[in-house]
Amino acid sequence: MSKRNLYLKLFVSGVASTSLYFLLYFYESEIMEGFTRTDGFYPMLPVLAALLFSFTHGAFTAYFWEALGVTARRTK
Amino acid sequence: MELHAVQFLDLTVANVVGLLVIGFVGGVVSGFIGSGGAFVLTPAMMSIGVPAIVAVASNMCHKFPKAIVGAYRRYRFGQVDVKLGLVMSASAAAGVWIGTGIQHAINVKFGEAGSNLYVSLAFVIVLTIVGGLVLYDTLRIYRSGSLGAVEKTARLAKWIQALEVPGTMMRFETAGIRVSALFILPLGFATGVLAATIAVGGFIGVPGMIYVLGVSSLVASATELVIAFVMGLGGTYIFATHGLVDIRLALILLAGSLFGVQLGAIGTTYVKPYVIKAVMAAIMLIVALSRGLVVPVYLAQLEVLELGAYSRAWLQIASFWLLILALCVGGFMIIGAMLRGHRAVVLQGKQKQVLQAK
Repeated sequence: MSKRNLYLKLFVSGVASTSLYFLLYFYESEIMEGFTRTDGFYPMLPVLAALLFSFTHGAFTAYFWEALGVTARRTK
Repeated sequence: MELHAVQFLDLTVANVVGLLVIGFVGGVVSGFIGSGGAFVLTPAMMSIGVPAIVAVASNMCHKFPKAIVGAYRRYRFGQVDVKLGLVMSASAAAGVWIGTGIQHAINVKFGEAGSNLYVSLAFVIVLTIVGGLVLYDTLRIYRSGSLGAVEKTARLAKWIQALEVPGTMMRFETAGIRVSALFILPLGFATGVLAATIAVGGFIGVPGMIYVLGVSSLVASATELVIAFVMGLGGTYIFATHGLVDIRLALILLAGSLFGVQLGAIGTTYVKPYVIKAVMAAIMLIVALSRGLVVPVYLAQLEVLELGAYSRAWLQIASFWLLILALCVGGFMIIGAMLRGHRAVVLQGKQKQVLQAK
């Protein structure tokens, strides 16, 4: 991956991740109300939210370490 | 019967910053030793006032997506035995079901103090036994002087691998073992029960794979991430059906720990296997002591023991700072080992360049 490509991906994933956390901050009470309901489909909400945040923020952190040059040692 | 109403934490700026730092260090530890790092996170959440049952539920929720990220990265390093992970996950799921049932029953009967006591006692017992065994093994390797040597298969594992039970034998290519499912399934079940009790099943899963099945520590810690994913997903759903998952805690922990888990996973490629064991032992024993200190406080809350307010406060403060010490010790040991390993690799590269130039 070229440096320019890497920085672009870092930026896009960073914006996506930050947006999700802003949503969590601004809608905290509504989220807590819905996510602690025990009826119907509601118990699936924490599972889905954790997956969504994880993949978005996980992509950002991976690009972050790569951009810093912290990579795994290749095994022979 | 109704569940005792749980009190969710009021998120102050200090709590959020604390959770981010705890998440990061817990992530580094979990990426490095593969047992979820949750054994640090559950007590840390309890120390800032989260009820044990919410701490366990939220921890499982934060952990399962992180586990799949760690598992994928370590799969790329060739360290994950997917087949072994899935076979153990099958029985671990049953264990999680039983374990969450026990948690729920204790909360209904004894309330928050009962839950806190149950989870803390489980931590003290499991961490002392497993941490002690891992420390003994690390010292044995250290004293033998063969630090870089290939790991030897434990005597028990050799015996189990040699045991032929017709119709139950399974071969695992990446782990390089052939063993009966009769030993794998109970191990997975116990891992699941423990995961639902303290949010980390890796304390049984990882040492079990190393000492009972004969898997190398690197493959065992990586494979455990697959099991942690399956157990975490199932456990989160079951706890959520009781309204016990605090999604804010889970997502804030995730923000810090995803930075850490990737750094920890990269770290495993720079160090020798005994370093992973040394880190495991050090953190486990300090956390065990930290949890042990607050057991009298919960006993006093249940009116089993008499303890003054002053003594309770001091025990809680001492427990909190021991936990911070465990986080610092783990973080420094891992980052120090990574830097030394990285320097050695750079040096080797330079020496090669010099030789080629000649």
